[in-house]
Amino acid sequence: MSGSVTRVDVRLTVNGRDRAATVDVRRTLAELLREDLALTGTHIGCEHGVCGSCTVLVDGASARSCLTLAARVDGCAVVTIEGLADDASGGLSTLQQACIEQHSFQCGFCTPGILIVATELLADNPQPSEEEVREAISGNLCRCTGYDSIVAGILHAAERGS
Amino acid sequence: MIQRVTGTSVQRVEDPRILTGRGRYVDDVALPGMLHAAFVRSPHAHARLRSIDVAAARSYPGVHLVLTDSELREHAGDMTANGSAGLFVATYSALARDVVRMVGEPVAIVVAESRNVAEDAAALVRVEYELLAAVVDMDDAMDDASPVLYPEHGSNVIYRSEHRYGDTATAFAGAAHVVRERFLQHRQTNAPMECRGIVVDHSPGTQAMEIHTSHQSPHAVRFTLAMILRQPMHLLRVRCGDIGGSFGQKGGINREDVAVCASARLLGRPVKWIEDRAENLAVAGQAREERLDVEAAIDADGRVLAVRVRMVMDTGAYPQLGFPASGYTNVVRSLFPAAYRLEHYDFDAVAVATNKATYVPYRGPWEAETWVRERLFDVLARAAGIDPVEFRLRNLWADDELPRQSVTGVELIKFSQRETLLRAAAYVGYDTFRAEQASARSRGVHLGIGFCNFIEPAPFFPSLIKAIGFMAAPRTPQEAQLRVEPDGTLSLFTSQMPHGQGHETTLAQLVADEVGVERSSVRVVAGDTGVTPFNFVGTGGSRAATLASGATIGVARQVRDRILRLAADMWEIDPADLDLVDGNIIAKGVPSRKLSMAAVGVLAHTRPGLANSDGSLGIEEHHAYISGEATWSQSTHCCVVEVDVETGQVRIVRYVVVEDCGRMINPAIVDGQVRGGVAQGIAGVLFERAAYGPDGGFLSASFHDYLLPTANDIPHIEVIHRESDPDDDVPFRGVGEGGAIGAPAALTNAIEDALAPFGVTIRDQHLPPHRIVELCGAIVSEVGESRFHQGA
Repeated sequence: MSGSVTRVDVRLTVNGRDRAATVDVRRTLAELLREDLALTGTHIGCEHGVCGSCTVLVDGASARSCLTLAARVDGCAVVTIEGLADDASGGLSTLQQACIEQHSFQCGFCTPGILIVATELLADNPQPSEEEVREAISGNLCRCTGYDSIVAGILHAAERGS
Repeated sequence: MIQRVTGTSVQRVEDPRILTGRGRYVDDVALPGMLHAAFVRSPHAHARLRSIDVAAARSYPGVHLVLTDSELREHAGDMTANGSAGLFVATYSALARDVVRMVGEPVAIVVAESRNVAEDAAALVRVEYELLAAVVDMDDAMDDASPVLYPEHGSNVIYRSEHRYGDTATAFAGAAHVVRERFLQHRQTNAPMECRGIVVDHSPGTQAMEIHTSHQSPHAVRFTLAMILRQPMHLLRVRCGDIGGSFGQKGGINREDVAVCASARLLGRPVKWIEDRAENLAVAGQAREERLDVEAAIDADGRVLAVRVRMVMDTGAYPQLGFPASGYTNVVRSLFPAAYRLEHYDFDAVAVATNKATYVPYRGPWEAETWVRERLFDVLARAAGIDPVEFRLRNLWADDELPRQSVTGVELIKFSQRETLLRAAAYVGYDTFRAEQASARSRGVHLGIGFCNFIEPAPFFPSLIKAIGFMAAPRTPQEAQLRVEPDGTLSLFTSQMPHGQGHETTLAQLVADEVGVERSSVRVVAGDTGVTPFNFVGTGGSRAATLASGATIGVARQVRDRILRLAADMWEIDPADLDLVDGNIIAKGVPSRKLSMAAVGVLAHTRPGLANSDGSLGIEEHHAYISGEATWSQSTHCCVVEVDVETGQVRIVRYVVVEDCGRMINPAIVDGQVRGGVAQGIAGVLFERAAYGPDGGFLSASFHDYLLPTANDIPHIEVIHRESDPDDDVPFRGVGEGGAIGAPAALTNAIEDALAPFGVTIRDQHLPPHRIVELCGAIVSEVGESRFHQGA
């Protein structure tokens, strides 16, 4: 490894805050968030891009943080589950509140990824059909719920206008 | 109880933290000076260890420790599992000694500055293996010519049993129809979204060890690790935070845990191991692989006269601490007759060891009894020319024949199975379905319908345990402890270890109603062996609804009495004239006499003699509860499918569950449990399979290969509740297992019904698209049975 670059500086915003870190070139965005920035709300479920638990928004688009190198998000705006709450309205977004009302989740491990893609969906398509909701979250695995309650929560948020 | 929140779908206490990213899962634990572990694992299913060279790994920068069995055995004893009569239970070391018996078996642990460095160094460990022939399937295992996993036992057959009830020979002799079938259930795995993990914080000064883990039974972890590590239990404290699902997988003691604990002690620093997904799929445990040969006799009216079952269970390579292999076969035997009239019954079982991952309990671990019985009943109904719903109705015990004991000695109560079945049939419109099906078939559309009845012991009870013949964990009362804090709020301590089931919510609902306070003033404390009551089993076996509720209701009543007595003593008034409502003690008819819980808390902790006659302070109570006989939950599942016979795609058109778990504490949580279980049952049929190659190589170590269903694959699941009211102080029954028990039968029955024009009998539970196409005769399988197109 001698002679090659093994550490890089990364500057980004996370949930609106400027952050900086010097990381191994092989550090993933998930590791940067969880270990360097102590934002453990983003979960690592498979490390090969299938389960979707680690999904975050990078410049507004959902991305698998387990497959994204930290070095690649230099200059980007990242939003994690910790950034979804709307502090002005008492700490929960409309989506979060709607999902609580619908008992959307059980163990909570898949939750960060699903809330992130649902946030992305509702931003693009504020009144999705059930089919569109199912399609939008079909890149995220949940092992507890059978998905019904999650779909209901997202549709409930859409009704309320998130 | 004044019912205010019990029985309503109040929002979950867990949700605000979980939905804002502020849960605390084991991988979120970060301690000062923490090191990270990775394991060197066997790539072979069966091999002798000739040499292990760890020199390069030990000298790799950032590595602190590398251990193999030759070092670890100085610091940890061997592992074994619960025994049972007639069962061979292997003893084994945490890190492989001499022989590896499955792919992924841990051979060495590497502890380093980071997980990356630990993995880099693990790749430098050179292991020389002498390959041995692998025993990969149950027939190989039963073949005397095959290699033997445990020479000290001398056979791969580790358990054998024979049970006879009534007189099957005579019953068969008088049968109108006899059907013989072989039903095969494939290997699956629990696949919780959070893999296993452990963080061990060892204090070199005191030798105390705090263990953070993701586990269903923290007290069992503490007890067992203390034994294996040869440490007094008082030095160990086990703490579980939020748990990202388990479904039975996180109930044993992991080999990795032993190695991590020993490493933390040797290093005097915290060590973390977080399992990755490939490890989880390969080694964390697999389930369900069972084959049942059945032979059934019916009379001309479609009444089941006798059934003979021969079950073979593939237990994999190592016994899991917790539930012995013979436990599964004996639960299947005991429950197979269910609520049906069956008086002549033979059941033989064989459990075998193979070079595959360890068999672990998976949601509804005895599910084969329901799948095979309800599959068989559809085959029998067809043989008798009787409608499958009518066939079930004819064979259910009549109300006037109950209560009684089943042929296996299990107490049966009056069931609602007849009603749940008829309700499910009415709800899906069964009376018009056959006409729709015929019309669809004429258009080349293949619709099918399947039903499944089952009764679920939730929790297990004495006559069932007697029928099974043993109990892995002793049937002990469930204990709860409730404390009035000095500010008048309440802390409930439970031995439950919820991992998605919402017990922080449901148990608080019960306390709030029983004591007479707001739910928000009750906190449920779980998962810390330093403060919670001991029980070998935490959450599992659908026991909480009855057992934890019973303990909680009991302790809440005791605390309420104590609070009222305190006020009564102070006011010199009869406690019967007091009430506790909305957190205030009031004297009936005297509105000015009012005492808040906050005042009670302070008084109880500051005035010696007021709360307790011996002068001690505070109000704190314990209550132990054990449930009685025949604590059944029950359900009928009904599934309607459309099968595309060209592509093999199965679309679930309707999925209906009519369930009866007694009264519900929180209906939304019950729905979630039912739907989640159904999703796992569907997944097992249409998607999931833990696959091995002929050499024992593991073929499904990623989510690309081990397919979990998505929101596009699981349909809306319609849940209808029939709330019977068990004549019991604790009228709640468990629902954790049921969904997963009922779904495979309802779905496979529906698919077989859809494929009736092809003369298909479904014998193999795994039905991915290529199998469906094979069954329809479009592809002739090399391994499966071929079927010829018989015209639509």
